[in-house]
Amino acid sequence: MKRKPNCRLFFFGCCLFLLNSLAVNVAFSNPLYKGNKKDREKNMLSPQVVVSGTVTDETGNHLSGVSVQVKGSSAGTMTDQNGRYAINASNGDILVFSFVGYETKEVKFAGQAHVDIQMSVASKSLNEVIIDVGYGTQKKVSLTSAVSQISGKELVRRPVSSIQQALQGKLPGLTILDKGGSPGSPNTHIVIRGVNTPYGPVGLASRGISEIGDNGPLVIVDGIEQPFQNINPDDIESLSVLKDASSTAIYGSRAANGVILITTKRANSGKVSVTYDGFYAQQKSVNNPVPMGIEDYLRLQNIAYQNVGSAPKYTEDQIKEYVAGSVSDPLKYPLPYNWYKVMLHTAPQVNHALSVSGGNDNIKARLSVRYQDQKGIIANTDSKLNEIRMNTDYKISSRINVSTDIDYRYENNTEPHLINEIFRQFMQNAIWVVPKYPNGDYGGGTQGNNPLLLAEKGGINNVASNYIIGNIKGTWEIIKGLTLTTQFAERSTGVFGKDYVNTWEARDSNKVKKRNLHNNVTETRDNVREWTLNNLLNYSTDIGKHSLKFLLGYSQIDNKSTSIWAYRQDFYNNDVQSIGQGANDATKDNGGGDSEWGLRSYFSRFNYAYNNKYLFEANGRFDGSSRFTGNNKYSFFPSFSAGWRISQEKFWNKLQTSINELKLRGSWGQTGNQAVALYSYFPTLNLVTYDFSGNLAQGYVQRQQANPDLTWETTKQSDIGLDGALFNNRLSFTVDYYKKRTEGILLNLPVPGTLGLEGGPQNAGIVDNYGWEFTAGTHNRFGKLGVDATVNFSINNNKVIDLAGTGPYIYGNDIDPRYITGEGYPINSFWGYETAGLFQTDEEASKYPEFMRPAKAGDVKVLDLNGDGKIDPNDMTYLGNSFPKYTYGAGINFSYQRLILNIALQGASDVGMRYARALGEAGNYEGFTPDIYTNNYWTPDHPTAYFARPTKQDLRNQASTDRMILDASYLRIKNIQLVYQFSPSLLKNVFLQQASIYISATNLITFSKLNKWHLDPESSSGWQDYYPETSLYTFGVNLRF
Amino acid sequence: MKNSITFFCVLLALVWFSSCKKDLLVTIPNDRISTEIFWQTTQDATLAANSVYTFMAESAGHFISWDGMSDIGNTHSPQSSESFILQGQFDALNSRVSSDWDNNYAGIRAANTFLANVDKVETTDTALINRLKGEVKVLRAYFYVRLASLFGDVPLVTTELTIKESKSVNRTPVSQVWDFISKELTESANLLPLAQPEKGRITKGAALALKARAMLYAGRYQEAADAAKAVMDLNVYQLYPSFEKLFSYAAENNKEVILDIEFISDNYSNNIFSILAPKSQNGGSNYVPTKSLVDSYEMKNGLAISDPASGYDPANPYTNRDPRLQYSVFVPGDILPDGSVFDPLPGSHSVDEVYSTFVVSPTAFNVKKYVNAEDLSHPGNCGINLILLRYAEVLLTYAEAKIELNQVDQSVYDAINQIRERPDVNMPPIETGKSQQEMRQIVRHERLVELAFEGLRFFDIRRWHIADAVMPGTVYGATYLDKNGDLQTVSIPGWNQIWNPRDYLWPIPQKELDLDPNLTQNTGW
Repeated sequence: MKRKPNCRLFFFGCCLFLLNSLAVNVAFSNPLYKGNKKDREKNMLSPQVVVSGTVTDETGNHLSGVSVQVKGSSAGTMTDQNGRYAINASNGDILVFSFVGYETKEVKFAGQAHVDIQMSVASKSLNEVIIDVGYGTQKKVSLTSAVSQISGKELVRRPVSSIQQALQGKLPGLTILDKGGSPGSPNTHIVIRGVNTPYGPVGLASRGISEIGDNGPLVIVDGIEQPFQNINPDDIESLSVLKDASSTAIYGSRAANGVILITTKRANSGKVSVTYDGFYAQQKSVNNPVPMGIEDYLRLQNIAYQNVGSAPKYTEDQIKEYVAGSVSDPLKYPLPYNWYKVMLHTAPQVNHALSVSGGNDNIKARLSVRYQDQKGIIANTDSKLNEIRMNTDYKISSRINVSTDIDYRYENNTEPHLINEIFRQFMQNAIWVVPKYPNGDYGGGTQGNNPLLLAEKGGINNVASNYIIGNIKGTWEIIKGLTLTTQFAERSTGVFGKDYVNTWEARDSNKVKKRNLHNNVTETRDNVREWTLNNLLNYSTDIGKHSLKFLLGYSQIDNKSTSIWAYRQDFYNNDVQSIGQGANDATKDNGGGDSEWGLRSYFSRFNYAYNNKYLFEANGRFDGSSRFTGNNKYSFFPSFSAGWRISQEKFWNKLQTSINELKLRGSWGQTGNQAVALYSYFPTLNLVTYDFSGNLAQGYVQRQQANPDLTWETTKQSDIGLDGALFNNRLSFTVDYYKKRTEGILLNLPVPGTLGLEGGPQNAGIVDNYGWEFTAGTHNRFGKLGVDATVNFSINNNKVIDLAGTGPYIYGNDIDPRYITGEGYPINSFWGYETAGLFQTDEEASKYPEFMRPAKAGDVKVLDLNGDGKIDPNDMTYLGNSFPKYTYGAGINFSYQRLILNIALQGASDVGMRYARALGEAGNYEGFTPDIYTNNYWTPDHPTAYFARPTKQDLRNQASTDRMILDASYLRIKNIQLVYQFSPSLLKNVFLQQASIYISATNLITFSKLNKWHLDPESSSGWQDYYPETSLYTFGVNLRF
Repeated sequence: MKNSITFFCVLLALVWFSSCKKDLLVTIPNDRISTEIFWQTTQDATLAANSVYTFMAESAGHFISWDGMSDIGNTHSPQSSESFILQGQFDALNSRVSSDWDNNYAGIRAANTFLANVDKVETTDTALINRLKGEVKVLRAYFYVRLASLFGDVPLVTTELTIKESKSVNRTPVSQVWDFISKELTESANLLPLAQPEKGRITKGAALALKARAMLYAGRYQEAADAAKAVMDLNVYQLYPSFEKLFSYAAENNKEVILDIEFISDNYSNNIFSILAPKSQNGGSNYVPTKSLVDSYEMKNGLAISDPASGYDPANPYTNRDPRLQYSVFVPGDILPDGSVFDPLPGSHSVDEVYSTFVVSPTAFNVKKYVNAEDLSHPGNCGINLILLRYAEVLLTYAEAKIELNQVDQSVYDAINQIRERPDVNMPPIETGKSQQEMRQIVRHERLVELAFEGLRFFDIRRWHIADAVMPGTVYGATYLDKNGDLQTVSIPGWNQIWNPRDYLWPIPQKELDLDPNLTQNTGW
């Protein structure tokens, strides 16, 4: 357990070194000092002449606004309306013509007076595209595995506060569920190629798919594992998603759920460039459920009472009085539910990102700073973010390069105490409440709940986090083709939580309806530090037509976390919040915990290519983890892949002009998942407390069966893909078919109660995922109109194959969503009864087998599926997917002169949403009753109504049946953005190289069957107690100096 | 340049050497104790025995919910598994059924582990080890009493099973389970002291009182009577003079208490106030009394309210009643803990008005036992002890067993009348000369009104086989005069209780049947 003390010292040394270098670096990177001296000398030697010309496109149209520059000098101009330009240049200068959407063209000036240029539409051929892969890069043409990549530029096109949101709908095989989320804590979940391992749907019912963490991909930023949310989208140069086992196996035991590689932006040598990107947005809740009208609601209540044999609750006079009163005197006659109107407001979001980068051949640096302030759409929600990153590269000798990166981030998130309870009360348990009286009192209604009170005066939960990662990397080219890379990083997170609960009371006139008597605070401190060491040895060589590449690597991760919390209550008043001021008695409490884990890995890769035509790759990783014991500590994860560039074959020559590139590739490999609770193999005793004579007594007892046989989940995946480019690279496409099988999934297998212990995780069971992914991209130019488009489409089939003779696991109950994880079904499928409409007569109802209790006309006819004359859980069946089978997205980009219009579409289908609780209860309890029920519930006068007869305090018709599952397929216009780029000639006077402004709107239009419920299609099943999805209306600026 | 290269090499070396750590993959948790280092000292024995108590320590909600699933109480919250049970909508998947199975076997496991390992402790203090063994055996018997009462035949597990073994256990006939309970309790009574220095620990009296209860449940009346008599003859226990105060803080650990779960606010608290008190008192009314219970209390003159001679006035239903009614139940017009008047009747527009919302009591009654004004300001943080065994129950067990044996002698009348004549109850004594049948009704009635909401009624209506008569149908609450002067009775809207003959035993949880092919299901399930 002893740790070498010099580790920490060493790291601080590195940091100092890094900061020192900053000063040097900024000094050196100023072009006035060094870079352009030669140019200036040269310019003095050779006299300048005026050169002019016309710039046209391929079809001969004149191009205006094309930037014309003398390479290496600040001299530059723009073409005018007729495509003409004039510039001073010397003999031997290189003229650079650049224009958005076109290939940049360089022409050496030989003294002629006219230089006419024809520019061609930019179409990066596959040949030039470099893809990030594990511990390295590869040309896209020679790639033999399934990797999708997106540029940082593409990612930040849509103004978002997190990358998860930015990625939605962008790449095939990547399913992102965006369940809203309060500022700073987006409730998004990323799954690559389907869910491998069952996860507890307990959280599903309460708050989105929150337990999905074990299915989340491994995220590697510049070689170091990092949490996804801790990356500034503006710092991303490129993002790759590694999907098949051949690309992920090099990450071994953590790679089964796919890997996301992020490379951050680095400086280029040359002039210092400064960029500023900022936006201001207004956030607005997208979907606000609409309540039933007051008169309809009161009548519904009367019918609901009568239907269970009670007297109607309201007389005609009372209904009249209430309907009139709700308009004239809402303080006396509040509406049953009005919280969506009362509590949600638009909220601003501001984002500033500034970067400075530049340097010379020896030292380059990029500094970026970001500030974001996102207010929430309910009171007291806010997220502030400050972030600074410095990436520095040093060339120490011609063979040695060192880079030091440091990223610091401070985030401060504020939300009301128990924010989910507030959203829960939008629909549940807060009925007939006056939100706030003119005298400032908060009403309580019948149940005493008031979400406005909780939001405004209930207390504040503040979470501030400091996140720092320092990363130093050295590369030494020992001999030509052989390089050694060493990288060391320390990642450190400190989270400070303070959850303060106020004293408060809800009252109507002089009656206190509910109160919280004890203000209290819970403070938490969580610290995680993680050291990563990567050592890589690369060798590459070409022997004739044979290209060979080797990689040998060693990596280790050492993670340690500590947490501590403390509680006190009964403060002098709600403004006194320091923990030391709470009552110093037995109510104070505290606790904490420590944990650590380590990972040690050896890995290798071998690439072989013959004539750039036949490609082969093999990967292997030997991973050791502290989470397992004995022989299970180490495991081996191999992969193989091969590719055939058919278009390189001679017989293809004729087709070469139309199909420029065609590659067939296939891969197979094995990866692991070590997401098992720490120390699971360790038989331990739990501390419990009891009370004798009013004094605490301790006890120790074993609660869980230890499992020393525990080992990794193993995923085997095969992939076949086709990459191609057509019509002069104007159209490119990728198709993949994959099939993966996860074995030994970590399950908390049920054990008999008679064992008397919890079972603990065991390796058991098999889950399959298979499916297709399609991507296609095109860029075209029709005169002045440029059109770029990419579309992607994914199909994922998920199926539980084996649960080791156990299960099915059925979660939920009759009034909440019920899920099944069982053999033959997708993980967490909806489960319940099938129905056949409503009974139309009491006689018909009485003849059919009874469900719950004797049915009457207007009740749901629940089917006796197995025909055994009774309706019981044996009649339940599969009712649909809770995770989408099809996901798709598209991005279309139109450019016309200086205007650019981006449209991003995104959607999913074959997915259900189980409406429950208030939405399903139809006023039978005291929940929000949506307007969709108006005149659409069964009464003898409305026999064709869709919904069952209301029955007060009786949920017989709300059981988990197919009627309660809505088709949650959707297509939405995720984002529309209109950009205007200013003419460079205008900008010259204000020292700007580029400037553009834009307006955009997210979640603008959605096509979904949930629209008539006024629900978001990405809503979670269950309580609807989460932060609503928002739309953003944004104004933004991008400047480059 | 050379300097730079040297610098880089040094840096590289530093990185390599500072990061090497031989035991990177060996992590030992420092926030838990390994089983391997345990069972060394007498302290370990005490710590392990203490842990077995935690399985007996029901939450307040669980404690009350037993009677909340009977005819005298109602659990109406729509999601609760108890409300499904009450309405006959449950099966072998019901979470209440499986959690009671699991929790009792978890306690049995802890007890078995203790008994299998405690002799590893090297000590000369055999008195301590014997006492702890006695406590743990009683606790294990306590869990088996629960299991046998709920499920009938259950696997009798007395060793530490492996997973494999647990998948092939058989159900032991319930008579053998009762044999085991009887034997264990007799043995442990001999190991245990009359009094323990720490309150809440199991004593000889607790072992015998539990045996009396167990044998009564088993229908072994002679053994029940003998065990109860043994408790009476210990001369340790006596009735507390005030029924009203019996469940208050002032009366904690009084001489009537044989075994309780000790609580202390802040440190080891329960939430009984918040689940029982009316809404106006920041309570949840989760478990509420029914008309059946309230109507069971006699008039002060000892006559049932159904007796025309009783003097019962439906318009003034709570006057001149057995005082235990208003000691046990908040009835309309009562004074609440905060000093206000309980006014739940329709039209009152009070916070507690019945029908105004489903989170007030739907019967217009609330439980008063254990609801103490001291807890008003922290309803979820109560320190009141919950009594598991008290002397009054032993007396009633004695009486019932003797009646069933048809040995109705003066000691039987004395046992019942002692309870009726508790100073602040002061009900007329039962006159001698009753038949066995009359006495059976009398003792059953006395158990109902004396022990309501102490977790016994649920089991009583099962073992007496009267559940099919008392459970089904609509559940009613308070009767009141409406605006027109007509008598109205509150009823729970949409609530219809069902009792199926199979319900006398709960189903063996489905999970158990799935995992263990040797287990069979109870009849009808």
